[in-house]
Amino acid sequence: MTLPAAQLTGISKRFNAVVANDGVDLVLRRGTVHAVMGENGAGKSTLMSILFGLLSPDAGQILIAGRPQVFTSPLDAIAAGLGMVHQHFKLFDSLSVAANVVYGAEPRRAGLFDRRAAEARVRELGERYGLQIDPRARVSSLSVGERQRVEILKALHRDATILILDEPTAVLTPGEVTTLFAVIRRAADAGTTVVLVTHKINEVLTVSDEVTVLRDGRVTGHFLTGETSSAQLVHAMTGREVRPVSNPGLGSPGATVLQVRDAGVVDAGITRVRSVSFAVRAGEIVGIAGVSGNGQHELVEAILGTRPTQSGTVELLGADVTRWTVRDRRLRGVAVIPEDRRGEGSAIGMSITENLALGHHRTAPIGAERGIRRGWISVRAARAEARALIAGYDVRTAGEQQSVGSLSGGNAQKVVIARELSHNAPLLIAEQPTQGVDVGAIEAIHGRLLDYRAGGGAILLVSHEISELLALADRILVMLDGALVAEFSRADATTAGIGAAMAGLAAQNLPNGSRP
Amino acid sequence: MSDSRASWRAHPAARLVDAAARHPAVVPLAAVAVAVLIGGVIIAAAGLDPVTAYAAVLAGALDPDTLDYTFSVWGFICGMALVAAIPLRMGEFNLGGNGQLVLGGLAAALVAGQSGLPPLVAVPVALLAAAVLAGGFGALSAPLSTRFGIPIIISTLLLSPIAVAVVSYLVRFRIGEAGAAVAQTERFPEGARMWAIGDLSYTNVGLLVVIGLMVAFWLVDSRTAVGFELRVVGANRRFGAYGGVRVGRLAFGAMAASGAVAGVVGAIITLSSPYRLIDGALLSPGYTFAGLAAALLAGGRPALIPVTAILFTVLQVGGAAMERSADVPRQLSDVLQGVVIVVLALRTVIDSRRSGESGAR
Repeated sequence: MTLPAAQLTGISKRFNAVVANDGVDLVLRRGTVHAVMGENGAGKSTLMSILFGLLSPDAGQILIAGRPQVFTSPLDAIAAGLGMVHQHFKLFDSLSVAANVVYGAEPRRAGLFDRRAAEARVRELGERYGLQIDPRARVSSLSVGERQRVEILKALHRDATILILDEPTAVLTPGEVTTLFAVIRRAADAGTTVVLVTHKINEVLTVSDEVTVLRDGRVTGHFLTGETSSAQLVHAMTGREVRPVSNPGLGSPGATVLQVRDAGVVDAGITRVRSVSFAVRAGEIVGIAGVSGNGQHELVEAILGTRPTQSGTVELLGADVTRWTVRDRRLRGVAVIPEDRRGEGSAIGMSITENLALGHHRTAPIGAERGIRRGWISVRAARAEARALIAGYDVRTAGEQQSVGSLSGGNAQKVVIARELSHNAPLLIAEQPTQGVDVGAIEAIHGRLLDYRAGGGAILLVSHEISELLALADRILVMLDGALVAEFSRADATTAGIGAAMAGLAAQNLPNGSRP
Repeated sequence: MSDSRASWRAHPAARLVDAAARHPAVVPLAAVAVAVLIGGVIIAAAGLDPVTAYAAVLAGALDPDTLDYTFSVWGFICGMALVAAIPLRMGEFNLGGNGQLVLGGLAAALVAGQSGLPPLVAVPVALLAAAVLAGGFGALSAPLSTRFGIPIIISTLLLSPIAVAVVSYLVRFRIGEAGAAVAQTERFPEGARMWAIGDLSYTNVGLLVVIGLMVAFWLVDSRTAVGFELRVVGANRRFGAYGGVRVGRLAFGAMAASGAVAGVVGAIITLSSPYRLIDGALLSPGYTFAGLAAALLAGGRPALIPVTAILFTVLQVGGAAMERSADVPRQLSDVLQGVVIVVLALRTVIDSRRSGESGAR
């Protein structure tokens, strides 16, 4: 048997009190696609950061092609034949594809950068791996999927024999995913070892040869993909069986809670939202599908009031709130689970108690709306509330005074969800509510959203996951380049149809006033 | 090798050391230690004995005969630390303490010297007038920031010299004592002087006022909705805005309160011995920046300010004694203040590296 491309033995890593990796073993066989899967906080990213030299392990050994290696930085890892494509791309927007690909290992002629050789190299690599792209194009003019190809080419240019892809499909349309998988297969067939970090089971089953599953920093399963099933993988990831939740079907929606008319948002001269109109009624979940960055987030900000609208109106429960402050809109009845939970949805340096109190701190029991206690805060009540929410939402923490920054991503998301749901606001906007959340928690969050609707709440659900929208939404709107381009009822919504609309290939049933 | 490192980490004593090294008090204490060391090196480089010099600082500051004076200085530094700490809680810097301080002094001098109010009323009215004038001036920076995008740190820094120059002009040419060699107002009448405590000559009721303000800040910070919002915005401004905090209004309130405290401190100094507004006398001791350093060292935390202010009080008062008895120029105090601030600034860099590492998970 040939030597494995890489072998990690007994890798352990602690961050303060949190054990991120605990004696992890991983064998990457040459020329295979190896999926590393697990829930968020299971230790996947830590393990990959150790393999790529970004973190040094507290214990354990790394063998690359049979030779022990100690990486002190990614440069060592690159020299040993590793390449990594991060979730957030590290590219120079104003430079050409070729310049980005060869950056750090430029072909030279007479000591100067050889542009022609760089462009030829990009074409050659593109043909070999099926990654066609114009070497002269500026990165700023490329789509997200194309930028990802540039990142992959960058690693291949450095002769990476082991290519790590960290959640590569999170930002892609369904069509782009198919293309990426073809590239991955081709690279593996050419002898490259591909590590695919993901939490999506269907991707693992589609493209990988082998799977290693992590849970709580330990390996809980290792399978050959051909010999496993999605049930087995879910069991290894969560330690239990998970029954997917699905929308039991629409009751009768009540009065209109949110009405957006011709809303337009311009940011720094760029139109983010174009004349969008739609309504959400009580007891209804309206989904917004779209590839990230097509104006969904700006639309949510315009409804909450953190971003001004240039045109149109926003009405909440019949009142025109277009010029209202965030606080007044929240008092009127809107709660938001934001997409960026670290940057917007929480203060990671503050305690769980304090994070849960924001927005509740001027009302009983933490604060008081009137009387002598108005303007004062009861720390004791805030802690009691926090303990109740921690228990009710199964936040895994040592206590309510821990900082939110010390929680895993999924648990931090639970804190945000607990705070916003406990407002019992007539309108709930949920942006990527299950992003980065583990499979078990997804089920719980979906259940809560359906309960919220059953209780008469109106929900605007923004998601990049078509499956999530299909499972929950009563109606699905598709957003592309700032406009609503299609609307699907629950009955006629399909992955293919929505995917095509997201990619701009089809437009149907345009809602009123949203024609591009 | 890596195995041995793992077992070392698991050792309980090592874990204790690890935890201790991450205690929030470590960085401020280290900042002070580094400052003292660097100061010692500078003194030694000048050919003097650091031990003698530091001994002179301590002896000078804690001399029982002048403890009264030391306490009054501590009060002023605490007051100016409060001025820096209030906006610091929401992540803003008020560098205009000097301007707000002299405006407070001006308001107090006008009320005390020219209003002819009865004794029991004159002092409170003077303090109030100082708070209103300086608070209003400080609050100017908030709309400049929210409406026009001029950072508060910049507008306070640039507005301050204007106020200082205006007050200086008034004292020299408008309200000054005619025929005096020094630009100063006349002595205030007996009834318009800060009330004394017993027969102490420097410490007076003004110190109690400052302590009262510190207690009030501590209460607001830890027990009120506004204090909570201030801390939320300081921790993450976007989170605050998303949660419904009216950040512009909060900045207005924080800057008004900060300026008002500076005004009150200016008024207390002016109404204390020698009971007149003297051009430049409010600024030359450098209370504003000693207070800023104390606030930074305390991380803006209300409960720590009285403690960190002690350090700068000792430097301030003891520095003069050191100059006399050890022949070390008192500017060394400024150097030490500067080093403390630089080390604290380094903390920000180290913190972001640290969180970057753990964030990689």
